[in-house]
Amino acid sequence: MGPARDLAWTAAALLAWRNLMADKPRLARSASGIAFAVLLMLIELGFNHAFVEASVDLIRQFDADLVIVSTARYQFSARAPFSRRELYEARSVAGVASARPIYADWNNAMWKSPADQSTHLLQVFAFDPDEPVFRMPEVAAHLAELRQPDTLLTDRRARAFVGRGAAGVDSEFARVAVHVVGTFALGPNFATDGTLIMSDRNYLKLLGAEDAPGGLPDPDFGVVKVAPGYDIGAVRTALRAALPGNVDVLTLPELIGREITFQKELSNIAPIFGVGVAVGFIVGMLISYQILYTAVSDQLPQYATLKAIGYGDGFLRLTVLQQAAFCGLLSYGPAWLVAVGLYWALGRLMLLPMRMTVGLALTSMALCIGMCMLSALIAVRRVIRADPAELF
Amino acid sequence: MRRLVAWRILTHEKGRSALAIAGIFVAVLMILLQLGFYASVPAGGMQVYDKMSFDILLTSSAYNFEAQSFDFPRRRLYQAASVPGVVAVAPLYQGIAPWLNGPGGRRDVYVMGFNLDDHVFNVPDIEARRDILARPDMVLVDRQTRPSFGPLTPGRHIEINDRDVTIAGLYTLGTGFVGLGAVTTSDLNFIRILPTRTLGEPNLGLVTLRPGADPDRVAAALRALLPADTRVFTRDALAKHEMAHWVTTTSTGLIFGFGTIISIVVGTVILYQTLATQIIHHLPQYATLKAIGYHDRYLGGIVMVLVLIMAMVAFVPAVVAAFGVYRLVRDMTLLPIAMTAERLVGVLALTVAMSLGSALLSIRKVSRADPVDLF
Repeated sequence: MGPARDLAWTAAALLAWRNLMADKPRLARSASGIAFAVLLMLIELGFNHAFVEASVDLIRQFDADLVIVSTARYQFSARAPFSRRELYEARSVAGVASARPIYADWNNAMWKSPADQSTHLLQVFAFDPDEPVFRMPEVAAHLAELRQPDTLLTDRRARAFVGRGAAGVDSEFARVAVHVVGTFALGPNFATDGTLIMSDRNYLKLLGAEDAPGGLPDPDFGVVKVAPGYDIGAVRTALRAALPGNVDVLTLPELIGREITFQKELSNIAPIFGVGVAVGFIVGMLISYQILYTAVSDQLPQYATLKAIGYGDGFLRLTVLQQAAFCGLLSYGPAWLVAVGLYWALGRLMLLPMRMTVGLALTSMALCIGMCMLSALIAVRRVIRADPAELF
Repeated sequence: MRRLVAWRILTHEKGRSALAIAGIFVAVLMILLQLGFYASVPAGGMQVYDKMSFDILLTSSAYNFEAQSFDFPRRRLYQAASVPGVVAVAPLYQGIAPWLNGPGGRRDVYVMGFNLDDHVFNVPDIEARRDILARPDMVLVDRQTRPSFGPLTPGRHIEINDRDVTIAGLYTLGTGFVGLGAVTTSDLNFIRILPTRTLGEPNLGLVTLRPGADPDRVAAALRALLPADTRVFTRDALAKHEMAHWVTTTSTGLIFGFGTIISIVVGTVILYQTLATQIIHHLPQYATLKAIGYHDRYLGGIVMVLVLIMAMVAFVPAVVAAFGVYRLVRDMTLLPIAMTAERLVGVLALTVAMSLGSALLSIRKVSRADPVDLF
């Protein structure tokens, strides 16, 4: 049974391939129709993914094995500082190579656009240039300049209307004249239109007074590096035991996961893109059905002949299904390529992190094959009904 | 008679007609949904403004959008009151403060404060509870405030910005794009909660005009009178500003409505193809009618009636389904997705136009149909 079945499968596949290749111009037309629907789904899926990614992109830039946050922190983009003495405490725990503070603010970071002097609230992050905390190479390259008073780095992917700034530009931050010493690439999200990075000393001078007169303000994140040879999980357990209950110790993926959960609560936009994907699926099914129906109708005499010489319905069904699957795969390739190009263009234009991930590629391919197979199941009924006697 | 023939053709092959109608249904539904998503973004930006009572809005010159409005001197309101045509001015204070509901339950809430002698919100639940808001540390909470803020039971004590306040009641307005939760209270309670703010610096100035006064003319007079620190918006100008901010500047609207143009093009093509296939399928019958003496004009009439019946049979359930999906997405995303009369009429017009267009194109085939050729 096994080998016979394999043989039937291969024979059906061969026939399906021949059927498909019989009329190449038609194949090109059909494939481009299906590819259009797949492209529609890929872009909607990409948007959905990018909205979530945009909100966690900066967290990914934390150079951390573990992150200390206040237990009151429920979202990334709002202040929830904890006492800096927890960081000193953390440094005494075995296996902790470093525990460095990140200061952040979302409510007072008033940035004046160097282009048109309009004012915008951005997000600002600060760190000690002697204790770098970000992975971004552009930040590492400007540590010396950041040590100068009233200097900062701006986001060259911030929304254009906030005035992105560039190295050498002078503007105002928190109503004080500041000097832009460089830029990095991050991008806006739901919470903010742009990001600024500066040294802890400048942060204290420009924003810190209200929080902690005379001293450094409390940090919002504690970036912990685990010493070589230590297990991250074990160090985390030790940190949790050593630190008081008002702070929590998370791995980077956990912090990212929490923010994604929060973003879903904040703005559950998935249904909007879900409808977009559904539309693409239905349109794709309609196109694919029409193509298969015409193809099957044209080759009805051939199918009827096969039936007359003894092939069963199962074989015919298999042939049409395989034909649909081939057609779907052939359409998927070009659609995927165009999508990669469009992701790049839309990402630049709309400042979203549009990335083709393995997950996105697999999901869209499954949807593509699924919609072709579904329409094949409907179209194949015509073949099954074909009566050899009627046809000749 | 024509209607009868059209009806007979429609009901002759029920399965086929049903499939065609389903195609039109999908096309219309798709267009309605994408248009709804596209429009919901600027509608989210305007949600709170839509329930505020003003003809002209004064803001700081730094104004970006509602949740980033900055403040400006209250004396600009008194200056504005001197302009002919202005009958009332009212300050509105807005701020963001942490809301605490038990350990770990910290959330930022949007706080709005208004003078209880002013008419600011067209929201009955707020209007009816002014006397409660006059008491210290009482707030009203928007029903759209997310579940993570804890139960919104009236009488419950919560902390906003480390101050013990009591939920005095709920109202329905919507949180738009101002945050996850919103509370409204009196101006005095507002500065109790946010002591760094002063009543001398409101975020918005709501100007009411004498009935019949021209908002554009009064706005021009206000712009001439007030210094550059204040911006003057008529309602129309404000709607345009918020629309531009949410649709183009942040591209949110463009992304949500990405499928709009595609859905219109694809929907139109589906509509045409479905109807055209349906007509061509019945070509032999039309040819027969011609052979027994009916005129082209008569056949054209049948085709017109046929496509219109099909389009309408599909349009009505598509609208019903769109209402359903709007409601579902509204509940899930809390975006103010709503049907507008303009959209309904627009899509109806598009459907009718496309139906008649495909009928006209197909009729040429019918009139060319030669009975001799067909059999």
